[in-house]
Parts: sequence; C-alpha cells; structure tokens
Amino acid sequence: MRAMLLLLVLGPAAHAHDMAAMGNEAPLGFDATIDNAGHLWVVDTVGEHVRVRRSDDMGRDFALSTIVNPTGEPIYAEGENRPKMALGPKGELYVTWSQPRKAPWTGFVRFSRSLDGGAHFDAPKTVHADRAEITHRFDSLAVDGKGNLIVAWIDKRDLEAATKAHKPYLGAATYYSWSTDRGATFAPEQKITDQSCECCRIALARAPDGRIDAFFRAIYGDNIRDHAFATLPVGGTPAVSRATFTQWHIEGCPHHGPSLAIDTAGTRHAVWFSAVDGKPEITYGQLQPGKPPVHAFTVAGNGASHADLAVDGKHVWIAWHQMSANGLQLMLRESNDGGITFSEPRAIANTTGPSGWPRFVLHDHRAFVAWNPGGQFRLVATEALQ
Amino acid sequence: MKRLLVGAAILFAPAAFAAVPQPLDSASVPALVAPPAKGSKVLALWSLDCAYCEENLASLRTYQRQHPDMTLIYVATDPMREREALEARLKQARLDDVPSRAYADATPDRLNFLIDPTWGGETPRTLVIHADGSRKAFSGALTAERIAKLVP
Repeated sequence: MRAMLLLLVLGPAAHAHDMAAMGNEAPLGFDATIDNAGHLWVVDTVGEHVRVRRSDDMGRDFALSTIVNPTGEPIYAEGENRPKMALGPKGELYVTWSQPRKAPWTGFVRFSRSLDGGAHFDAPKTVHADRAEITHRFDSLAVDGKGNLIVAWIDKRDLEAATKAHKPYLGAATYYSWSTDRGATFAPEQKITDQSCECCRIALARAPDGRIDAFFRAIYGDNIRDHAFATLPVGGTPAVSRATFTQWHIEGCPHHGPSLAIDTAGTRHAVWFSAVDGKPEITYGQLQPGKPPVHAFTVAGNGASHADLAVDGKHVWIAWHQMSANGLQLMLRESNDGGITFSEPRAIANTTGPSGWPRFVLHDHRAFVAWNPGGQFRLVATEALQ
Repeated sequence: MKRLLVGAAILFAPAAFAAVPQPLDSASVPALVAPPAKGSKVLALWSLDCAYCEENLASLRTYQRQHPDMTLIYVATDPMREREALEARLKQARLDDVPSRAYADATPDRLNFLIDPTWGGETPRTLVIHADGSRKAFSGALTAERIAKLVP
C-alpha cells in the first residue's frame, strides 16, 4: 500500500518541467489540508475566482472542483497573501482570502463556507466590521478544538489614526475575529498587538487544549523585526509575548512569515526567517514565550525561504524552498526525537520554474508536502526512497 | 486660462529622461550586476507592495544628484505586467528620470538569487557594486547618513 501511495504521489513529477516558459503570470498561492477520511482538499485561484478541489487519490486527480465565488473579485493570491482553507468537525469547508481594494496596500479579508461538502459555497462576506479603505490583509484561518473559527490578519487602522494625530507608529497592527456558529457570523474584531510587521503571514496552530495560538513577525524598538507569540481566545484578551530574539533590524518588508506546529505535549515547534548582519537564515526553535527559544538551530542559509513545518508525536518535519542558479529545490529535514536533532538537508523535489510556498499535510502519521510548481499541484512524499 | 493650461502641461509633462521599466530576465542579470568602469553602480530593488520603498528610491536619487559618478538603476521585483502601475508610481513620486527595470522571468525568486545570493527578497534592498568588483548591500530604507556609508 505504501509503495502504491508513493507511486501515486510521485507520478505527476514530469509536469514540473513544463512550466518554465509560462512566465510569472498566474498567481500560485494555494493551501491544502487532508480530512479524516483521507480526502485531500486544495484551494487556489483561477483569475478572479477562488477554487476548491477535492482529491480522493492524494492529489493525482481531482474528483470535485467548485468555484467559491461565481461573481469574480480581485484576489491576492501570491506569496504570503494566498487563499487559506480549514475544515470543521462536521465536514464544514471554510475558506478565506484577501481582496485588494483600489488604493495600494489596501484590502478586505473575505470568507466563504460550504456546509454540503464543497458542492456549493455561501456568497463571500467581509470578516471585519471596519470598512475603511486600508490594509486588512494577510489573513490566516484556523478551527479550534470546539469547532470555532479564528481569523487573524494585518490591519492598518491604528497606523491611520496615529498618522492623522501626527504620532509615530511603526508597521501595522494585528487583529483577529472568531465565529462560534460555523461562520454564519463573526464577532467584532479585536486587536492582538500594535506595531507589528505589515507584510508577513501569521502562523496559527492548535494547542493541546484545543485553543488557537498565533506566531507572527512583530516590531520591537527601532524596527527590530522579531516574532511574537499570542494566545487567541474566543472572547477574552490575547496574551502576547516576544518569542524570538534575533535582533534583525529592517525598516522594510521581509515578506517572510513564520510557521508554527504544537505537539500533544504542548511543545511549540517553529521556524522563522531573519537576515541579521546580512546573513539570511531559516531558524528552527521551540518557543518559550517571553524568553529565547530552546533547541534553536540554523536550518538553511543563502537562497532558502518560506519554510513550513509539521509535527506528529516525536516526528518533526521542516520543508523549504532552496533557490540556486539552476532552479528551485524543495528541501526537507526531519527529526525523530522531538526536534532535538535533525537530519541533514535532503532535496525531495525540484523544478526549473516557480511554485507556491510549500505546505505540509499530515495523514496517518505520514507527512506530505503540498507543492504546485508551475500551477501543477502535487503531493510530495517525505520518506526517503530505499 | 491659457497660462493655466501651459502651467499644467509643464507640471504633468514627463521628465526629460523619463524611463519606462525595461524587462529584466535571468540572461540579462550578468550585465546588470557587472561592475561599472568607474565609480559605483547602485541597484535599488523595490516593489509596489513595499511601503518603505519609495522613500528609499527618493533618498538614493537625492544622493546621486550630488555624486554624478554613481550609476543608479531602479529594479522592481514586480512582473512586467505591472509596468503601467510601476510607471505611474515612479512618475507620481517624480522618480521617473532614473533607468528602471522590472522582473520578466518565470521565477522571481531565481532573479533575486542571481542578483544577490545573500538576499532573501526583502525590500527595499540596495546593492552597491564598485568598479573593483566589490559589493555592499543593505536591506531596509536608507537615510542620507546610511547611504553615505554604504555607497562610496
């Protein structure tokens, strides 16, 4: 069975080389997840439409393909601003994306759901009550242990207010909202923190108690762009602490958000990007909010970007993009001792063209990396070929 | 009225050396990063989605006016299909008199790497290449003082 699965997922590899001539025309942002029955769900975009697809054979073919928004609208669908998908406990499909508005750097966070297994989606709606023509983008989406939805995003309302009052304000704020009725309504949004980074995705992960935690790039002092860890309660006030201490100073846009995965013992495994003293690095560490992370080590350096990670028991996987003059490699390092030690880096796929950022999906204690070189979706197995 | 119209025409006329963004593909990167015959070449890497970039482009342009031996080139990491938006942004900021490039490659991250392997794609990024082939780079918006330290 395992051999068959490997064959299935390795099948579409040949397509990866077809797309070099395509140009960077089609946005490649996507998200992927696997439900308890082993169906793979993928969300991406086709022009002004968000598309949800279901595969019953681990990404080789798609048995269902549904346009979420039949009425098209502009969509941020690249890089750190890609559509997101999460599953509810009763088979609900939840989708969010950011919609560019007319002025530069503006956007609204949009939401839609399907309660009939992806056959139909509700008309999209805007998650936040604030409708100012400013940044509400870089949405992230998660479902907590009780089935509540959490949506977090980057929001510039406080920057706007400070600018009008001629007060200094660095970056943007981070906000979130939640829904306790399967996305029928969202609570008025609440601020997570002021003065955070304005261009990096927010990582969300479920803690053992079922609640959702966030890990995102914040700003400390004079444009030190380290990361914050925050609990995002449904009701109540988020608890926010500094969680990385790289001291990377940049008055600019890193465009590199972190990833977070929390194991059943509560260990917060994380990866993040920084470029202190001109040295770009992806770092792994176990977060100790308020203090520097433990078991920190450099995963990769020059040319490495957009890492994701996953955890299952003591097994921890890290995947990232490794660029070279010859093309793009999808790299992997794994740990079998809960993140204390990791294997050497290993390329598990490559392409001469572009791909959306890698995303882990877990199924039956196995990890797969969702990837779409040239828009051709595939699941890449993480097991070394014998 | 006529005078007003003439005034408006001068105000909105393109600058004398208005440069529309020219495509940059991987094959043209070696020429772009080749050391200049003399002085320094400064590549100002920016993008439409970067709120810090315009001020960086403007600071470098101001510095260049006092340092004519510095070659300045704006390189947008946005694809050529955004050419009109790039042109409009530069024109609005009165920075459209600087030679300008925009990405024209299937893999933008590859161009990033070819231009500067120590660059993670963060913007603004300023890459200084001297006549002797030595390089200096800085990520983030530059002040006049920082430019003076970085460029000479």
